[in-house]
Amino acid sequence: MSRDRTRAVALAALALAYLLAGREYPLDSLAAPGPGVFPLATGVALLLLAACQAGVDVARRRRGEVGGRRPRGPGRRREPALMAALLTAFAAAVPVLGFLASSAALVVLACRLMGVTSWLTAVGLAAGVTAAVHAVFVLWLGVPLPRGLLG
Amino acid sequence: MGAAGIAPALLVALEPANLLACLAGAVLGTLVGVLPGLGPAGAMALVLPLTVKLGPAAGLIMLAGIYHGSMYGGSTTSILVNVPGEAASVVTTIDGYRMARRGRAGAALAVAALASFVAGTLSVVGLQLFAPAVARAALAFGPAEYFAFTVLGLTVLANLTGGSRLGSFTMIVAGAMLSTVGMDPLGGAVRFTFGVAGAQAGLSFVAVTAGLFGVAEVLVLLTSAEPPSAPARVRFRELYPSRAELRRAVPPALRGTALGFLIGLIPGPAATIASFVSYGVERKVSRHRGELGHGAIEGVAGPEAANNAAASGGMVPLLSLGLPFTPATAVLLSGMLLTGVTPGPFLLRDHPQVFWAVIGSFYVGNAMLLLLNLPLVGLFARVAVVPPRYLMPVVLVLCAVAAFADSNNLFDVWVLVGAGLAGYGLRRLGYDVVPLVLGLVLGPLMERSLLQALTIARGDVAGLWASPQAAAMLVATAALLIVPPAVRLVRRRRRTS
Repeated sequence: MSRDRTRAVALAALALAYLLAGREYPLDSLAAPGPGVFPLATGVALLLLAACQAGVDVARRRRGEVGGRRPRGPGRRREPALMAALLTAFAAAVPVLGFLASSAALVVLACRLMGVTSWLTAVGLAAGVTAAVHAVFVLWLGVPLPRGLLG
Repeated sequence: MGAAGIAPALLVALEPANLLACLAGAVLGTLVGVLPGLGPAGAMALVLPLTVKLGPAAGLIMLAGIYHGSMYGGSTTSILVNVPGEAASVVTTIDGYRMARRGRAGAALAVAALASFVAGTLSVVGLQLFAPAVARAALAFGPAEYFAFTVLGLTVLANLTGGSRLGSFTMIVAGAMLSTVGMDPLGGAVRFTFGVAGAQAGLSFVAVTAGLFGVAEVLVLLTSAEPPSAPARVRFRELYPSRAELRRAVPPALRGTALGFLIGLIPGPAATIASFVSYGVERKVSRHRGELGHGAIEGVAGPEAANNAAASGGMVPLLSLGLPFTPATAVLLSGMLLTGVTPGPFLLRDHPQVFWAVIGSFYVGNAMLLLLNLPLVGLFARVAVVPPRYLMPVVLVLCAVAAFADSNNLFDVWVLVGAGLAGYGLRRLGYDVVPLVLGLVLGPLMERSLLQALTIARGDVAGLWASPQAAAMLVATAALLIVPPAVRLVRRRRRTS
């Protein structure tokens, strides 16, 4: 699928899902507009923009252009996917392990994904970052970072 | 107080206690700007009890120092690691970060500090000269005019932020949609939270921007086939801007100052809007507009001047009418009230010493911030040459801390991750995420003014364009939407025929 068509389909799907979810908010009257008015207006606007995007795709095809398709480069896919999984796991781990322990684990594993070959360096960096975050944000600024179930 | 009495009152800012308060505020403000998460309003709120002890002049001088310092510091992380410290620094990421990747982080930081100094100082002159008259003119705007203004503003900015217009509009609308999560701005109804208690306050701006810029940048770096490399180390002399760069920075800084000051008078996120408008203007008028978006000094000087000038512009309605238009100026208002000073039309009559001491502290504070920031350029620029494999994991943790610390809400960590993945996906699809931030910031203002205007007009939609100002702005919007595509269509038909 061309990039223009992917964009149009994704936007239309997003707009429809948003409008569907926004149905439960009342519109009331124009004299006393309810909380559903602005979501309806923005959802419809996005739907129109999706239609425009589809129009761009059709126009490009008629002109014999490839519709925004880009030749697939030598980009990597595994590492970004692993990083996305790591970040999701980090967000899930914070309430359980606490912010500092989760951050330390995030730094170690992110270092490895980014190409740091030495475990020792990764662990050292994690320890330094965690200590700095604790000193600045917890001790100095008093931010109540979650301690987790163990804290 | 006559003109002869103003000079001694201005010099009150130079008294040792006030200088010390100004220095403390400037240092704290710069740190707040550099450290993600704790915004200027939060930092000012933290020191409010201290201002009562310090007394009106010193206390308010310290609060003003924090306010201006955070504007200076906010650009640092934008330039170094592509994570904007403040909404007003989002635009600086575009060219500032690219300059840093080319080994010109020092030049970008120095120009940001110099442009902020010029803008801060010149806009204080404007504040001193035009405060009451200009603020009253700005107050003539009602909800219908604000709605028309935001519609026109977003349309202009969609044309100016670069990339395709369709893409920019799409991102602005997506940002406005995201702004509807949480309580609606008028009735307080909770929307799009799907039962998640943490989402009731809405999506944290800090979490969204840290995700869209910081986390997405890490994912983009991981995608590249070549292992990410650090910019080359530069010699000390090259840390600072060259004469050519300084010459190029002067016109955008002056334009940004004028725009920023005027936009600062308008309620809402003026510093953010001012930085976007300044960047847009540079794209149209700069002699080096072709380089914008690829690491041009104009893309740093203009927006940085604009957001600092807007910060001073925001003081006009506060000091002359007692109306705070931003969270930070609201805290400043609280500080004034706590110290027994009531801002407004009678401030000059009742507390002339305090008024002019605060104005004087703006001059001193700007000079102090420049002296603080320029020597730190070398230190900060070293951050940019740290190899990404070490720097980016640290950036991830800082983004997470910033997201959480914004309102001590675990949900915001999820928002950060979601925004990061969305930002990565959007960049892969060829979208520029900067307009999305604009929609997110202006969405609530647009919704509030639309609903208020409709209510005032008793449901008559014509009320939106009943006043000449609103009608003129909406006509200009329609012209901007219709004329450029029509001209393109005509040209294309002429070419084909």
